[in-house]
Amino acid sequence: MRRPGLLVSHVLVWVYALLLALPLYYLLMSSFKDNTEIFTNAFGLPESWSFENYRLAWEYVSLGKGLTNSALVTVAAIALALVVVVPAAYALATNSGRLGKLVERSLALGFLIPGFAALVPTVLLAIWLDLYQTRTFLVLYYVGTSVPLSVVLITQYMRTIPRELEESARLDGANRLQVLLRIYAPLAMPAVATVMLLTFINIWNEYLIALVVAGPSTDVRTAQVALPTLVTNVSAEYGLLTAGTVITLLPIYAAYLLLRRRMENALVTGAMKG
Amino acid sequence: MIFAMPAFLWYLVFLVGPLASVFVVSLTNATTLIAPREFVGLENFRTMFGDDVFWMAVRNTAVQVGVVVPVMVVLGFMLGYYLFLRPPLAGLLRILFFTSALLSVATKAMVFYAILAPDGLVNQGLETIGLETLARNWLADPATTLPVIMAVDLWSGVGFLAVLFGAQLTALPADVIEASRIDGCGHWRSMWHVAYGMIRGFVGIVAMLQYLWTLFLSAATVLLLTSGGPGTSSVTLSYLVYSKAFQQSDIGYSQAVGVVLFVLGLAGAVAIRSALRSRV
Repeated sequence: MRRPGLLVSHVLVWVYALLLALPLYYLLMSSFKDNTEIFTNAFGLPESWSFENYRLAWEYVSLGKGLTNSALVTVAAIALALVVVVPAAYALATNSGRLGKLVERSLALGFLIPGFAALVPTVLLAIWLDLYQTRTFLVLYYVGTSVPLSVVLITQYMRTIPRELEESARLDGANRLQVLLRIYAPLAMPAVATVMLLTFINIWNEYLIALVVAGPSTDVRTAQVALPTLVTNVSAEYGLLTAGTVITLLPIYAAYLLLRRRMENALVTGAMKG
Repeated sequence: MIFAMPAFLWYLVFLVGPLASVFVVSLTNATTLIAPREFVGLENFRTMFGDDVFWMAVRNTAVQVGVVVPVMVVLGFMLGYYLFLRPPLAGLLRILFFTSALLSVATKAMVFYAILAPDGLVNQGLETIGLETLARNWLADPATTLPVIMAVDLWSGVGFLAVLFGAQLTALPADVIEASRIDGCGHWRSMWHVAYGMIRGFVGIVAMLQYLWTLFLSAATVLLLTSGGPGTSSVTLSYLVYSKAFQQSDIGYSQAVGVVLFVLGLAGAVAIRSALRSRV
């Protein structure tokens, strides 16, 4: 092995790491500075650790409401998705008929379609259902987008559960629903947890559909939609802008720090099943 | 199978239905979301193919996809191989890569908006290292807007692909790559001849997904950073779908572009998949 080659790759990798880290450091530091300080001292620590920017950003674009809306939509969609997805995965995992195969295939294809591809008809659907500019539509829509990947992931996991467990329970007189609730759902918890984390990340971070469906009202819009309005609301106050960005990032990043391994596994699994 | 019906119906109503409607709406003269619409055949496609903005968007999208996808997949793979070797501080790198993967499109756009400010991080940084001649107004210069849009994707994407490729390589039986190293292969050869060969099919899937994401999802980044401008210098097809529908009240045209995107997505995905099919 030629040593110089390895040294070059170490250097290149860390240059990239620095390129990733520096903007994030700048984001955090700027959130404690005012424009003058940002423009003259981009790299240094702030002169004082004042949370004034955070307070103002919170007020100017009603970030509190935005975060509440995001949380409501996310929690409701995850709960509803589980009710829909787990029975479907059970049905597909325990059924080897042709219809099951067909449903599973078409769901696997659906995973490839970015929801954005149907941006306009999605809004038309919201209007048609009389749910335009409501959080309800966002919840229903996000459940739909989470179905393909969630069903495929949980189905694959449930296939590893021995069928004998179901057969003996059925001999004891349990019906399909009881088998699902008492045996399959509890045993599939690792896959269910992965799906919940993935759904959480995807919904919390979603921007474009939330923008065009929920609209500009602060009572309905999510944090992701509220955040960029800082650019137009308070023109070029970079301290406020970065403080708002940090606030919006905080919930998902806190979850990451708490559940690091699980979250990393979820992201990798979610991307690998394509 | 009854248990599977709600999920499947949900999928049909909220994903398949809207996607199919793209084709229907593209054949109508709809202007706004609630205006009545009539069937006008291929009129929208005729307008679109005669529109310079559309061709600018095609050009920009071709550049964007042509640069972002290969660069991201190749660098991601090499970095993934690097992670697979368990280098010092790999844990720190992983945290950094996952952090950037957790940023939403809106927060990423805000980060770039802030660092590219006239007196922001980038221009101050260039000044510090004596390259102030390169400093410019990145988001208002037609020469740099499209590269900025591509940089946003690459910035966070390379690290995340590296984590994926690294995980895939780690899941392989370890002795094959080790054996090739003992046989005297350098890292360069063992990376491209052995490791790549073993996860070629997976690289193909990732390249295909990345192609679809890059093709379809640039609308939000463009909207938040440049609104397609200055002029049409950073209009992409994805952004054109958005702006025709929600800013210029031309839903029919917007969905004609949507059809073009869908066809490009399908054709590109099939092409990438068959070019990088697993040999194993």
